[in-house]
Amino acid sequence: MSFQLHMQCHKQPDVVERILRVIRHRGFTLDEMNMTPSNCGQRIELLMIVSSTRPAHLLMTQVQKLHDVVTLKCIDSKVDSTAISC
Amino acid sequence: MNGAEAIVKTLIHHGVDTVFGYPGGTIMPLYDALFDAPIEHLLCRHEQGAGFAAIGYSRSSQRMGVCIATSGPGATNLVTALADAMMDSVPIVAITGQVSTASIGTDAFQEIDILGLSMACTKHSFLVTEPEALCQTLHQAFTLARSGRPGPVLVDIPKDIQQGLTHWHPPLDLITNIFQPEKTDSENLQQALGLIKASSRPVAYIGGGAGMANAIEELRQFLEVTGVPSVCTLKGLGAVNPEDPSYLGMLGMHGTRAANIAVQECDLLLVVGARFDDRVTGKLDTFAPDAKVIHIDIDPAEINKRRVADVCLHQPMQWLLAGLSRPLHIKEWISYCRQLKTEYQWQYNKPGENIYAPLLLNQLSQRLPPKAVISCDVGQHQMWVAQHMTFHHTRNHLTSGGLGTMGFGLPAAIGAAMARPDDTVVLVSGDGSFMMNVQELNTIRRRQLSVKIVLLDNQRLGMVRQWQELFYEGRYSETDLSDNPDFITLASAFGIGGRTITQRDEVIPALDEMLSMEGSWLLHVRIDAMENVWPLVPPDTANHEMLEKNP
Repeated sequence: MSFQLHMQCHKQPDVVERILRVIRHRGFTLDEMNMTPSNCGQRIELLMIVSSTRPAHLLMTQVQKLHDVVTLKCIDSKVDSTAISC
Repeated sequence: MNGAEAIVKTLIHHGVDTVFGYPGGTIMPLYDALFDAPIEHLLCRHEQGAGFAAIGYSRSSQRMGVCIATSGPGATNLVTALADAMMDSVPIVAITGQVSTASIGTDAFQEIDILGLSMACTKHSFLVTEPEALCQTLHQAFTLARSGRPGPVLVDIPKDIQQGLTHWHPPLDLITNIFQPEKTDSENLQQALGLIKASSRPVAYIGGGAGMANAIEELRQFLEVTGVPSVCTLKGLGAVNPEDPSYLGMLGMHGTRAANIAVQECDLLLVVGARFDDRVTGKLDTFAPDAKVIHIDIDPAEINKRRVADVCLHQPMQWLLAGLSRPLHIKEWISYCRQLKTEYQWQYNKPGENIYAPLLLNQLSQRLPPKAVISCDVGQHQMWVAQHMTFHHTRNHLTSGGLGTMGFGLPAAIGAAMARPDDTVVLVSGDGSFMMNVQELNTIRRRQLSVKIVLLDNQRLGMVRQWQELFYEGRYSETDLSDNPDFITLASAFGIGGRTITQRDEVIPALDEMLSMEGSWLLHVRIDAMENVWPLVPPDTANHEMLEKNP
């Protein structure tokens, strides 16, 4: 099952590396990624498509804990929206 | 002031009066600033020892542990301690030196990308690249380490930043994404109350989070008011009043039979600061099969991670437990659980003259004051400590739970001895673990600390040997440690006296002698190499299918 993640992060040199590490370690595969600057270069917007046999909330809750992740949304994951809201 | 002086001032601002570390090239400016600073620096003999000492300091006192190392090997030697702190949610701040900013990325002498290395084993890590960012970065590190689910934070500081001029700044509110639990009377709380009221067989499953949330008093009050029987994880030991007749002990792989049966038969699990660790649950889909789950945890990532919760609660634990404390009508269940406890209580009447480690540890526990700190290493002795010693607070039990790091015990005991100099500190170690950070005996000597060391020596890597016996057809591959050094001679080389005992009737006089001695002491205890830890839940097995002996 694949999920689309949209996140806004502080523009730090290590932030993408941290997110990618969490994606891999928690059992997800990065299939697509797009990165654009925002907030006059203070932040970056990331759009990622990831896939896994694991439910999306297991990744979302881990990514949300990263210090430089400001907002995170998961799109196309009806199954997991209840788990996240719990 | 220079950067190094600003670091010291920031440490003082955060109430740090003790740090653990080891100097080296790129951290020399900070050591120069520490030379006449009002902060005690304890020189450990390996950076891993400094990291574990910071953990022991933090866990035993709930103050921030701070460790310091140089770049390259100094920083990599900290990694295991950082991982340990991460797994066990211990707030520590690690400060590492780094090569000067212009040299980063050039493979300079003692350069390592510790920022990259630390990503998997810290809550967060920082590389300071501007002198004016130094103080705020350190402030953020302290805030992050303590906030939400606690954990380690690393700050990597290049040498030129330590040497460069800067200004000290008080903390600004730079951290925005901290999870702040609120006291809200939510629908979830009402649902939890409904589940508790409807339950006829509830069990409270208590983890290390209860102690970290400072909710021990409220937890004990909850258990007293409701009468709910309770079980603890390894890190939860000490949370429940040990005199509580409905407290059933540790659950899981080496838990008590009473605890595991009660959990398997319960209809409601109230999970308090625990995370359904695999050592707790055994075969996950058979764990507490009939139970609804109320999960209280500050970390949303632990909710529904391994077991779906019927109700999850993120409000402050103290407030929640107080709100959930209502009398219940579960006398029959309480009576049944107490009967299990009586029926399956530990037996210490093993025949023979050899020293029986569980009995020794129980006798040691009875001789210790309630505020004594017990640090232990990893392996069979660790499980015997958990099973047979009594803890009156989670702060009094230092154990490497999540990572299971051999070599943890001695430096963690040193950290506890620094944090709580008025309390008895005992290290229970095994011969395998003890040798992994044995150099820290000199740290004890350097500071003339008092650590009572009980070394359970079976001349084996005992837990691995046990598994080889049970699950690898007795093929004892590389678990024979019979070439151990003479531990008494070894201790004496570090100025620590000791005694070896081999017979059961020597135990009590030897324990009394150790506890009456001034300063540190090594009690070297020879035990049977083939002794096993029982009960045991075999891998991928339901918790009620515990083994009591080798089938």
